[in-house]
Amino acid sequence: MFNNRVLAVLKRELREKLMSKTFILMTLLLPVFMFIAMVIPSYIMSIEGDEGTRVEIITESPLLTQRFETSFKELDFVKDTTYIIYYSTVPESDLMNYIDSKKEAMLNEKLHGIVYIPNSALKDKKIQYYSKNPNNKTLMDKVRGPINKVLLDEFFSTKDLSEEELSYTRMYPDVTGYKVSEKEEIEQVGFGNLILAYLFMFLLYVSLIFSGQMTMQSVQDEKQSKIVEVLLSSVSSRELMTGKVLGATITSTFQMAIWLIPILLFISTTWFVLPPEFTFDITYGHLLYFLVNFFFGLLIFIGLFATVGAIFENAQEAQSGMWPIFMLLMIPLFIGLSILKNPGNPMAEIFSMIPFATITVMPGRFTAGDVPMWQLIVSILVNIATIAVIFPLAGKIYRVGILRTGKKPTWSEVIKWLKYKY
Amino acid sequence: MYALEVKNLSKSFGTLKAVDNASFTVPEGSIFGLIGRNGAGKTTTIRMMMNIYMPDGGEVILRGAKVGQEFKNKVGYLPEERGLYKKMRVLETLLYFAELKGKTGRTVTKKAKEYLERFDLSNRLQSKVEDLSKGNQQKLQFITTVLHDPEFIILDEPFSGLDPINTNLLKEIILEKKKEGKVIIFSTHLMDFAEKMCDHIAMIDLGKIILNGSLSELKSKFSQKNVSINYEGDISFLQKHPIVEKISDFGNTTGIKVKEPGQTQELLKILVQNNVVVKKFDANDISLHEIFVELAGKEAGQEVLNV
Repeated sequence: MFNNRVLAVLKRELREKLMSKTFILMTLLLPVFMFIAMVIPSYIMSIEGDEGTRVEIITESPLLTQRFETSFKELDFVKDTTYIIYYSTVPESDLMNYIDSKKEAMLNEKLHGIVYIPNSALKDKKIQYYSKNPNNKTLMDKVRGPINKVLLDEFFSTKDLSEEELSYTRMYPDVTGYKVSEKEEIEQVGFGNLILAYLFMFLLYVSLIFSGQMTMQSVQDEKQSKIVEVLLSSVSSRELMTGKVLGATITSTFQMAIWLIPILLFISTTWFVLPPEFTFDITYGHLLYFLVNFFFGLLIFIGLFATVGAIFENAQEAQSGMWPIFMLLMIPLFIGLSILKNPGNPMAEIFSMIPFATITVMPGRFTAGDVPMWQLIVSILVNIATIAVIFPLAGKIYRVGILRTGKKPTWSEVIKWLKYKY
Repeated sequence: MYALEVKNLSKSFGTLKAVDNASFTVPEGSIFGLIGRNGAGKTTTIRMMMNIYMPDGGEVILRGAKVGQEFKNKVGYLPEERGLYKKMRVLETLLYFAELKGKTGRTVTKKAKEYLERFDLSNRLQSKVEDLSKGNQQKLQFITTVLHDPEFIILDEPFSGLDPINTNLLKEIILEKKKEGKVIIFSTHLMDFAEKMCDHIAMIDLGKIILNGSLSELKSKFSQKNVSINYEGDISFLQKHPIVEKISDFGNTTGIKVKEPGQTQELLKILVQNNVVVKKFDANDISLHEIFVELAGKEAGQEVLNV
């Protein structure tokens, strides 16, 4: 299957791709875009947009109301007037009337919400929140703690506890993660690996889509410019496809290797120092696995994109052919992102070993936590099996499609092509 | 010995039978024309000969052996719809196509430069293909077809879309290659060209080969009953004459077919007797077009004239 003609096609693809401006720009700019894409959302998240929030705290007894007022006045977000808190005492029987009277203010957003703390809260901590947007998570996150503190103080004030005991009860458990692995020592870990896992999965996804679309474009150019018939008088369609897919795969693997250099430098040198919560723990083996996995992923998806390129005459028509491939890429990405919360969960294990999904999910899982060796081998075998199954089919469709012109073919026609003796 | 034998080739696309049991032979050292109207099955036949399409049935024999990759390496192919990589440079393009045929190295580079010189492109070695004029792109495409010194040259509708200069250039290449003993196969719907250039032809209509053989033999076989004339006067009385089978008006000349061989002299006599001024009377000539009309029908002939 691999001969001088494939090599000639491959060489041309490499020359054309590696020397192209697109390749150089993409190699330089994608990391920048990735950085922006990761930083901007977290920046936006940090802007809570809750300046000037007005909330009313209501209890049933003037004493409790007083306690809340004293305690809340000391809070930073009340001091800097991000939040303006009103305090009232309303008996439970009048509560509904009172809320009715405030309804208009709440609908006009002059008042953002009413927190009602009944006396019973001192027994069961059940409180009520009335608002136009009762699911405002930012607000609740801010006031939940302080409310809890007042309730705790109130609850324990009759129990005769020391300040030390009180401050202990107010504390939340503080968890530090330690990673247990094959290695001798047990080490404390930061978020570094999690961030890397996200990074790897995004890089993989973006790069697969990009190189796939480039190949599709190149196949369509050959089809449109009619050069393909000249080519097929020298090489078989299989040789042509092999050369093209390999060319694009090698180019993108090379590009990925460039992107991984900074990470390689992190783990092999002491040139860079990261804050402890961002340190990561990955090995050369991770990087090697990542490249190998990426190589197989590229072969599979570039092969699919090339096939779609051969079926349709221009990029517009090809839209309808691309969505199944996008599904195969996107669903695993979302699965991959969601499993990072718990890399050991059984669903993650399954998805990291099923065809197509394994390409995205396994690197994420492997980076976020330990994966047994046999699973990595299964993942690679699954990829090889996928290639062995889809390439003969893709090759057939490619062979028929590449010389077809005219009407946009339907899916049922494409399936018929598989039966053609071409 | 035949250079190439096409045996019972068939190819269907869905319900359409594009090529139906086609057989013909191409002798060594000949210029061979595959003739038929548009959609007759010429390109499909050629693609099967080149192994671009797999035939549903039949085979192509190259000097006694079935064609395969070996044949592809020996062929220079110029498809009807031509194309080059627009972003590639001129010399690079030539070397790439030669490499696909297994030819690399200094000899090829030298030869490429010679061809470019000959076709007035030597100052464009490093130009991008897209920067060449259409005429120059066609020249470049011709060079890619012959640079690897193919033994077979297959040209699909080679003259469509060529300007007069390139038409002559291509004819020149074809004749030169013939002198070198190469086999040239071309398909065309232009009967005139075929008539002027080919030694051997195969006629294809509706996917079927309706005629195959040496052009001169075919002509003498068909001309026994055919006369082409130029005249002044009225020949409508011939329509019902017992010795006349058919009259075809080809514009400049009129073809008359008599019922039995040897009745041509009688025809001349009748014309003179009826005061028709005969300006030219050629009893030994029949155009390919007339043969085509005779075999494929008048309607088909009209179609060939109009395309």
